[in-house]
Amino acid sequence: MEPVVKGDTKTPTVKGGRWTEKKKTALASYTFISPFFILFTIFGLFPMVFSFYLSFFRWDGLTPMEYVGWRNFEFIFSDPLFFSSIKNTFLIGIMGTLPQIFIGILLAFALNSALVRFRNTFRTLIFLPYITSIVAVAIIFGVVFNNQDFGFGNYILSLFNIDSVRWNTEYWPVKIAISTMVFWRWVGYNTIIFLAGMQSIPRELYEAAKIDGASVSQQIRLITVPMLKPFILFVVFTATIGSFQLFTEPLIFLGRGLREEGITMVAYLWRDAFVLNSFGTASAAAIVLFLIIIFITALNLLITNRIGRTKKLS
Amino acid sequence: MSKFLKLFAVMILGILLVVACNGDDDAETTGGGDQDGDADDGEEVSTESFGDGEIELVFWEFGNTGYDVLIEEYIADNPHISINLQNSDMDDNHDNLFTSISAGSGAPDIAMVEVGAIERFRAAGDSFHNLLDFGAGDVEGNFLDWVWRTAQSADQSTVLGLPTDIGPTVMFYRTDVIEEAGYDSSPEAVSELMSTWDDFAAFAQELHDKTGKQIADNFDLIYNAKRDQLTEQYFNTDGELVLEGNSGLKEAYDYTVDLLEAGLIGDYGLWSGEWFAGMGDGSYATMLAPAWMQGVIKDNEPEEGVWSITTMPEGAGNWGGSFLTIPSETEHAEEAYAFIEWLTAPEQQLKAFLGYGLFPSAPAVYDMPEFIEYEDDYFGGIPTAVIFSEAAEAVVPVYKGRYFQPVDDEIKEAFEDVAAGTDPEEAWEGAFDRIQRIVDR
Repeated sequence: MEPVVKGDTKTPTVKGGRWTEKKKTALASYTFISPFFILFTIFGLFPMVFSFYLSFFRWDGLTPMEYVGWRNFEFIFSDPLFFSSIKNTFLIGIMGTLPQIFIGILLAFALNSALVRFRNTFRTLIFLPYITSIVAVAIIFGVVFNNQDFGFGNYILSLFNIDSVRWNTEYWPVKIAISTMVFWRWVGYNTIIFLAGMQSIPRELYEAAKIDGASVSQQIRLITVPMLKPFILFVVFTATIGSFQLFTEPLIFLGRGLREEGITMVAYLWRDAFVLNSFGTASAAAIVLFLIIIFITALNLLITNRIGRTKKLS
Repeated sequence: MSKFLKLFAVMILGILLVVACNGDDDAETTGGGDQDGDADDGEEVSTESFGDGEIELVFWEFGNTGYDVLIEEYIADNPHISINLQNSDMDDNHDNLFTSISAGSGAPDIAMVEVGAIERFRAAGDSFHNLLDFGAGDVEGNFLDWVWRTAQSADQSTVLGLPTDIGPTVMFYRTDVIEEAGYDSSPEAVSELMSTWDDFAAFAQELHDKTGKQIADNFDLIYNAKRDQLTEQYFNTDGELVLEGNSGLKEAYDYTVDLLEAGLIGDYGLWSGEWFAGMGDGSYATMLAPAWMQGVIKDNEPEEGVWSITTMPEGAGNWGGSFLTIPSETEHAEEAYAFIEWLTAPEQQLKAFLGYGLFPSAPAVYDMPEFIEYEDDYFGGIPTAVIFSEAAEAVVPVYKGRYFQPVDDEIKEAFEDVAAGTDPEEAWEGAFDRIQRIVDR
């Protein structure tokens, strides 16, 4: 250790004071933090800036770029498929996440109660879908949402005397299938977050409620849910962002063609860029998506601030 | 502007490097297996080096070609060459090639391009060598005319690649189902029974009435077969969309829709679980598919002699096959060309056929005794190679155009709409609108 320190202190005198101690420290510090900034510039900042630039060009990735002004934006705004993709993103987002919050809270409540045995086993099991390979998920749900009469989904429907549906073609069935996959994959993750939240709720509150004769549903409604508010907000935020980025599920369920009934915004821009090699319109769609996300995030923040304020007042 | 491009190139290179390094590790430890369990997107490249000559050619291929054996043979005769063969999944292969061409750096000396992607890369113009500059015109006679035309640009002034294998389509059929309907199931008789598309439809009705079974697996393959018999499909040779005025395509669509609505063709989506299962349980009688489908059928119906092969009604089509191209970045274009010319010569194509079932694109092979004598017990001991070669010679040349695949996907979507109950005319119009927007992008 010692010689290194010696060597270090010696260098400035040798170099004749070109580097002051302060500058040297600064340089060292910047060098230490530079890996992140270098990687971020290459893989984060540059693609983002380039995407803005690209949205004003017509480019297929191979031939020279051609400046087209606002044409790409005009194009996507006259494309009914683009509006379908926005609508689908919202619909699937709501259909996939709202049930997650309700079911997640109920599951967490069950796991948290003293009545359930093998609690750790159940906790692990419920988290498993989150870490399951998405390819395996696709195969399993391909069987469940199979167009044939013997597909699991259609079999269940037949028990209620409902005709078979074509899960990958019809308007609502496509959305139901995709949101089910989203629900299945994320409900465990959110349950664990809710569970963590519930464990921070003091036991005394429940004990006091029980003494006062509150039923289980009253306990959930009047103690658990209000105390979980910050956790619910966290889940709503992450789920909102997640649903705007929804891509893998529609792609593996619908294939590269990505039918209009199930295409999401990210899937739309991916298809433009990597199936149709139209990087200009893909970038334009990405920028519109960017603006929508900014708007929704602002809305989210506004709502959070309001909730935070009422809390302080009460 | 050019600074931007340079930065972009550096970025892409970085990604490629990371990918390439991963691939090397995999090849060293497992030879392409996924024992480390992170096969989430299958971005695997297996690398093998041959020879220690000073001129190294990097060769990107996909699929199971068996070229390693041929390369060793070549290296033995040309000790100054060494070849670095990198095999990856077909889509990855094309994506990586696209990225490196786009970035202007990182492309191999020789790249295999599938027929479906050839127009996409032709748009890159100068990024590939025109093989006519190396004397490819001399070997033109080696190959089937329609395959050569695919490698050529529309004005025939450039050749992008030398053809390796092709996928001529024939009619696979189940002998037991044909017999159940009361007909002779020999290849000649079945070919006679369904020699025209009208016969095909009539037999489909009869089969359905007698046995309740369906004539074919799904709409895809019937439509593809009809489509591939047309000399002009979605685009003309100037790259203009001619779908609207093409009565042949509309006829192919209507023909398939009629069979679909009459319940005469199945609803087994291509590559779905029930489609594979259907090959084994005889729920459909025929499958209009290319030579390489033999392996798929063999995997799904282990019993020999159940499936057989004959010619399809009114001609044949082509599905699949590849070309060997030389990106212009290479520093050893001459050597690369010499190698691919050797590799695609009839003698080597015969070896690739006998070894790995790559169906030759060189008609000279069709007259070679080993080829003619090739029989397959699985398909009832008939000379399968000859049937495929007849199909290969019946294929009509067609210009597919850059957006062939996305356009074709939209037509298939129209069939799905019809299957879900949409009016066929409405579905066709809908597909047409979507196609117009794809081309306008």
